[in-house]
Amino acid sequence: MAEAASPNSPSLAEQYFVKEKEEKTDAGPKPTEFKEVENPKEAATQEAAVEKTVEAVDEKAVEETPTASEESSEATPPAEEQSTDPTSDAPEVSSDAVTEQSSGNTEEENVGDQVSAQETPEIKLETAPADFRFPTTNQSRHCFTRYVEYHRCVAAKGDGAPECDKFAKYYRSLCPGEWVDRWNEQRENGTFPGPL
Amino acid sequence: MKSKWLFLTIAPCDAAEPWQLGFQDAATPMMQGIIDLHHDIFFFLILILVFVSRILVRALWHFHYPKNPIPQRIVHGTTIEILRTIFPSIIPMFIAIPSFALLYSMDEVVVDPAITIKAIGHQWYRTYEYSDYNSSDEQSLTFDSYTIPEDDLELGQSRLLEVDNRVVVPAKTHLRIIVTPADVPHSWAVPSLGVKCDAVPGRLNQISISVQREGVYYGQCSEICGTNHAFTPIVVEAVPSKDYGSRVSNQLIPQTTGEAEAEMKE
Ligand SMILES: [Cu+2]
Repeated sequence: MAEAASPNSPSLAEQYFVKEKEEKTDAGPKPTEFKEVENPKEAATQEAAVEKTVEAVDEKAVEETPTASEESSEATPPAEEQSTDPTSDAPEVSSDAVTEQSSGNTEEENVGDQVSAQETPEIKLETAPADFRFPTTNQSRHCFTRYVEYHRCVAAKGDGAPECDKFAKYYRSLCPGEWVDRWNEQRENGTFPGPL
Repeated sequence: MKSKWLFLTIAPCDAAEPWQLGFQDAATPMMQGIIDLHHDIFFFLILILVFVSRILVRALWHFHYPKNPIPQRIVHGTTIEILRTIFPSIIPMFIAIPSFALLYSMDEVVVDPAITIKAIGHQWYRTYEYSDYNSSDEQSLTFDSYTIPEDDLELGQSRLLEVDNRVVVPAKTHLRIIVTPADVPHSWAVPSLGVKCDAVPGRLNQISISVQREGVYYGQCSEICGTNHAFTPIVVEAVPSKDYGSRVSNQLIPQTTGEAEAEMKE
């Protein structure tokens, strides 16, 4: 019993503390980036030899053909529940399906390439930080304040001032689109209730 | 072959199962804390139960009328009255301390979140908005999440729990979920994540969670919101954070290019 209370047993807070390898200090000026447009072609060709083709495509394949996912049922845990039916003729079916998949895959690639050539959106894991002014569960004011801040910033610094962009990001992160639309409308009509 | 033995694996249970009495497995520190608190309190609860039942049964046994035809006329005993007032009031205090500690730690936003997801309740579906990545008011990644009707269920899917579009979140990342409805009060509750947040019209409720492992988590609406209240489930899919980017951009690309093309045509 005594060793249970030994000094190096972790406290409750330590026990529950989220251990993060991937902990990123988002508050900092340069957030870690997920430049993730992971070239679909490359991934596909590498894994074509292995029978795990499915896994590479499965995100895209979920919508179209969940046929080939039988064999990958243990390889890809979350995405497919529908793949759990153990068909008796699984081998033939799956080999067919894999070729089917890979053909579908090439189409996908082409589309993917065109798209990524056109545009490579870059996902930064970054959002409005926790604001000490709004420590409560209710964040309605937070959203509203950020919206007002942005428009005051634009009013002061002129349209498209780069220092206002962060406020725009914040209010878009926090406010439901419906609210923003309504407020935009109100601003156009001059009936916006906030201090602008 | 392997799928035959799948049931033997000790897989965490993140959805309700038939005749379930206990909790679903925890996927966030919050839920772990809730389960631990529950077990701690249950210790005292059992203790009190045993003690009270013993007194009760003993009294019934010994003061049964064939044994004790003439009841004793004791109506007052200062010592025992003090004791039985003090002790029951101390016990709740001891229960309250960890309970409040947990309650306030759940509210607290310790770290800046990395992602904000808006969960908007409708009669009777849910809309999710990912607006961290858009550069205008219109672009945000928004999708509706409807329950899958009973007739369309596939083998292995849970009735009234499955939806057509899941909320994809990265695991081991701090998330801020903004819960609000567009019409009547709803709620956003996922037991495995230890989350139950009411959605109140005109108000944005924030919950901050960090899913500790990849998986699919199921929840249901917990606020009577109308006839189809039972048909607005929640499915959260936690993916490794390196896959999250591609998930989101795969969904973003069609939208943004669609808009770009539209603009080019104009
Ligand atoms: Cu409801």
